[in-house]
Amino acid sequence: MELVELINENIVKIPLAGNSKDDILKELITVLKDAGYIDDVEETYRDVRKREDKGSTGLENGIAIPHAKTSTVKDMTLALGIKPSGVDFESLDGKPSKVFFLLLAPPDQAGPHIEALSEIARLSRSRYFLETLSNAKNPKEAVELFKS
Amino acid sequence: MKRDGKPGNLIKRKYYMEGPIKKIMVYIDGTEESITAGQYAICLSKSAGAELSALYVINTRALNELLRARIFIKSEQEEYKNDLEKDADRYLKHIKALADEKAINVNLIKASGNIIAEIKKSVKELDIDLLVIGELSRIQSRLDELHNEVERAMRSVSCSVLIVKDQERVETLYESLK
Repeated sequence: MELVELINENIVKIPLAGNSKDDILKELITVLKDAGYIDDVEETYRDVRKREDKGSTGLENGIAIPHAKTSTVKDMTLALGIKPSGVDFESLDGKPSKVFFLLLAPPDQAGPHIEALSEIARLSRSRYFLETLSNAKNPKEAVELFKS
Repeated sequence: MKRDGKPGNLIKRKYYMEGPIKKIMVYIDGTEESITAGQYAICLSKSAGAELSALYVINTRALNELLRARIFIKSEQEEYKNDLEKDADRYLKHIKALADEKAINVNLIKASGNIIAEIKKSVKELDIDLLVIGELSRIQSRLDELHNEVERAMRSVSCSVLIVKDQERVETLYESLK
């Protein structure tokens, strides 16, 4: 499954309101609940936090890719959030993270999960894409970027 | 062999009698589309009397890239590799069950590495003359076009390629196969 098939305006939040790693994770999970993709916010948060506790998913260049295997989703699910001012996400380069991809997959979908993470990794190598994405004013603009 | 009076038919008939498809390989990646491709390949194998192989590639290249990009930690890479091994066994077993149901032998191949390279390698080593793959995702961006590995394999593989579409029709075809 291509990333572009996972993204739609309902799962994008701009700007994110949270000011800490936990706030951001909970906010993105709530986006998925509001969009009807998950029911159990707490269990999802526990699964995401469990992975995060093993090592931060805050990368370089302002991107973070929190991810987890969780039985709270039936299919692979993505949420995208942008915090233009950035937030401390314990990133590799120590700089604030601005673009957050939360990717959740059921435990039996390792293949598609890896493909989607690889696609996000490829996107994250493009500084231009990340800069344009982090400047998106609304979900529509962000979604359009993936389709261009 | 008889000629029927039309130029070139001797060659055509010889080709037909030997059968244009002798070795089919279906690429399985765990998607519904690839399972449908498996069902179609079983039908083709039966009607053409061709040998059938099913290939699953554990994408260790992607796992290594995710580790390098620091998206994965080492223990996570191992965990996902084990998951992929189990997926490979599960989906190949499923294809075998589908083939057994129609009394078709299938050669199961589990490979690891780069998807494109492994598909090409198996096609060459097994002298495959038809690669069967599931329906590809709709190209929705330039990035899709550049990075869809099965599509790239389809373009670069040395044998003919058949893309299977219409899941419902294939299901009916498979179910009706004696």
